[in-house]
Amino acid sequence: MRGNGRIKRTLLGYIVFCIAILIVPIFISDAYLLNKFARYLVFGLLSVALSLSWGYAGILNLGQAVSFGLGSYCMAMALKLRTIPIQTGAGGLPDFMVWNNVQTLPWFWEPFHSYAFALFAGIAVPVAVAFLIGWFIFRARVSGVYVAIITLAMLVVINLLIIDQQRFTGGFNGITDLTTFELFGVQFDAYSTALYYLAAIILSLTLLLGFAFINSKTGLILQAIRDDETRVWYFGYDVANYQNFIFCVSAAVAGVAGMLYTLVMEFASPTFLAVPISLSIVIWCAVGGRASLVGAALGAIVVTGVQGSLSDTQAFLDTWMLIMGALFIVIVLFLPNGLISMLELIWRKKRPLQGSASARLVASRASRTGQATGHRAVSSR
Amino acid sequence: MTNEPIIELHDVAVEFSGFKAVSGLNLSVAKGELRCLIGPNGAGKTTALDVICGKVRARSGQVLLKGQDITRLSEYRIARRGIGRKFQVPSIFREMTVRDNLEVGYCKHLGVFSNAIRFRRAERDGLEKLAALVGLDDVMDEPAGYLSHGQTQWLEIALLLAQNSEVILLDEPTAGMTAQETMHTAKIFNSLKGRHTIVVVEHDMAFVREISDVITVMHQGKVLAEGCAADVQNDARVREAYLGSGGIAHA
Amino acid sequence: MIDIVSQISVGLSIASILLLIALGLAIIYGTMGVINLAHGEFVMLGAYAVWFLQTYLGIGLLAGLILVFILIGLVGWVVERSLIRHLYNRPLDTILATWGVGVILQQGVRLAAGAELRYVKMPDILTNPVTFLGYDESAYRIFIFVVAVALLLVTYILVFRTEFGLQLRAITQNRDIARCFGVNAGRIYSLTFAYGAGLAGLAGALVSPLKSVSPDMGTNYVVDAFLVVVAGGVQSLLGTVASSYLIGQASGVLAFLSDDTMAKAIVFLSVVVLIRLFPQGLFAMRVRRS
Repeated sequence: MRGNGRIKRTLLGYIVFCIAILIVPIFISDAYLLNKFARYLVFGLLSVALSLSWGYAGILNLGQAVSFGLGSYCMAMALKLRTIPIQTGAGGLPDFMVWNNVQTLPWFWEPFHSYAFALFAGIAVPVAVAFLIGWFIFRARVSGVYVAIITLAMLVVINLLIIDQQRFTGGFNGITDLTTFELFGVQFDAYSTALYYLAAIILSLTLLLGFAFINSKTGLILQAIRDDETRVWYFGYDVANYQNFIFCVSAAVAGVAGMLYTLVMEFASPTFLAVPISLSIVIWCAVGGRASLVGAALGAIVVTGVQGSLSDTQAFLDTWMLIMGALFIVIVLFLPNGLISMLELIWRKKRPLQGSASARLVASRASRTGQATGHRAVSSR
Repeated sequence: MTNEPIIELHDVAVEFSGFKAVSGLNLSVAKGELRCLIGPNGAGKTTALDVICGKVRARSGQVLLKGQDITRLSEYRIARRGIGRKFQVPSIFREMTVRDNLEVGYCKHLGVFSNAIRFRRAERDGLEKLAALVGLDDVMDEPAGYLSHGQTQWLEIALLLAQNSEVILLDEPTAGMTAQETMHTAKIFNSLKGRHTIVVVEHDMAFVREISDVITVMHQGKVLAEGCAADVQNDARVREAYLGSGGIAHA
Repeated sequence: MIDIVSQISVGLSIASILLLIALGLAIIYGTMGVINLAHGEFVMLGAYAVWFLQTYLGIGLLAGLILVFILIGLVGWVVERSLIRHLYNRPLDTILATWGVGVILQQGVRLAAGAELRYVKMPDILTNPVTFLGYDESAYRIFIFVVAVALLLVTYILVFRTEFGLQLRAITQNRDIARCFGVNAGRIYSLTFAYGAGLAGLAGALVSPLKSVSPDMGTNYVVDAFLVVVAGGVQSLLGTVASSYLIGQASGVLAFLSDDTMAKAIVFLSVVVLIRLFPQGLFAMRVRRS
């Protein structure tokens, strides 16, 4: 059965990818390089989060960085409270609060003395925020472009608020000067192999769980919603519930990515939930292939990897963004399913024995993707 | 019809920015009946289906399903109570395979959490049978976007069968079909009589005659006449309503 | 009493800037259904154009306005011709493509003109406050208000009183049928997009003396503009005007009560709530959708 064979083959691809990222430390011992690679994996995880909602459910979330940033701040708050030597302020106040004349630790900082709570919050806070936003937009049957605009607006609002509330959030500077995260006796130093493994394992688990999920009935219904949202309502499915669910799952994954990012970068900053990073996530996802979790992860790793290996100067970064913008447009126009769809095409061409029917199918799929999306657009007007 | 009514519309009115699409509409369909709605363009046939399945809201009046008021329910709740709908513009999931389409249509379980741990193996046999019934069994793994127009119509009908609603609302199910395909469709619908209640909006009188028990003629948002095919065609008011659009046979 | 009047005038001033920025977007979105996320970058280009004309060619703000309109309109025309027209049936993809255009424009300007803040001088005749009904008002803000109203009128006449507008509205209703009646949809779309971009450029030129000019200034403007358009109802020019006014007044009052950031946050949140309550916008028609 072909449908079944395809699933098995894709799963094999996922497993190969996971093994590949897990054996990297065997070949690389340079701590600086390993840290860089861990960073790419975190971006990969973030890209997977967007792929879940955008690629599989058609929810173009331009504010994905909100979840990422909130996760990052949750982790940073916990690490800040444990910074040694104990903070400059009385009663263990973080330094920036002292500078801002805050007398006592705010109540919502209090629980972050516990790692367990911080880890919980790093997922729960982004999910709660996403749930609220999702409840607003999906219950109102807002879809398509409106979702993009509202999520973008929410990103701007939350970014403004975090910068504005300097006394509690560190404002522009974010939360810096953090201690090293430690769990079950393992030190997750930013430059350690342990942290790389943590990122690689989490990314692998997310990919495999995600793969199972998109092949579940819920995953199927989400794809149906992506294709024709209104039709799904008439089968009796509560589409808004499904959309909000995947929106929250996506936020949870992005929240985990945010926590990891704090560990990798050793600080949290409002730039983590600003527009440029949200834009980057969309670009990674589009370049790699929005409708493939592993494609999205690869997209992020390749784009940031190439960027990181070329240069780090500001002039280069500016030019690089320019190139990315152009590449992004080209992909949107000509390769809506990203680079991974090319891989699939090549794979099928190499196996003509499988029957010419499937080869024809791929060819016509490539040429008709535009048309198919076009139809969807017309019917949703 | 001795059966009790399953769908009742009482004095229903629908407006779009002042334009009365339907007003004072009364309709009663018995359980297990196959009812055809015909009428000139703009008579409010599609709107009548829309108001039953919850796509548009009635400004006034009442829609009852098995005696229970469903006027204010949203469409997915109406669907859950057993009303399925096929739209005029074929709406299937174009980027998914035929099999996946049918699996979405098979909606016994609706919850997002329970479906997240449900993998799609269980219903396989039933869906294969269903696909065979509408002649799509050899394209099960093709994306639905590649189907011909006729096949798309078939797929939508199969989706409704997978959904297995008590009441099925069909908006021009044979549009774009060949005469042969139309007759095959008629056969399928005839076989559903009794088990399902079906309301069809249709222009093809040959098809209507083939399948219907009772025909309801609508005109200007109201019911103009009701009865069997012969009665309706001889009705003076119906002839008048169709004047200028070429008579009922060509409508 | 004084407070209320000055408060209203602050609100009007914010509203007129919002209207200026939203107008071009409303035209493009309302008629073409294209979400132009590069709109903010068009605004930014307008501001840089004025800065360039002033700094290097010695052309003042007022004298340069027409030139800016034409220049940015031209940029819009090129973008439509080369990119947008391939995406008319894929609204979600226009978001992505125009975002890409925005990145290119932003980075292009950053590389060409540098990332540092630039300042544009106000026209000399408008620097002094004028006394109006016993209140001192900034002449420049009154000027902006007048220009916003004038552009609104021009746009209204263009859309509802000209042959061009008639064709545009026909296409908005049904592109295929309009085409059958001999309307050159491609040309109309190009011109509309160019006009919308030109308006954005003008908006950028006009706000440039009030705020600093930087390559990333567009991001905030595009979000502002979209919220105005969405809150007002997508296909309603009147809705855009009304929601600019409401949002402008609300921002003014809230900024007076707390600070600019909080005002912005609260206004954004309110608009999101508004969209929840009125998904079609405040001034939308109820139509049968097929």
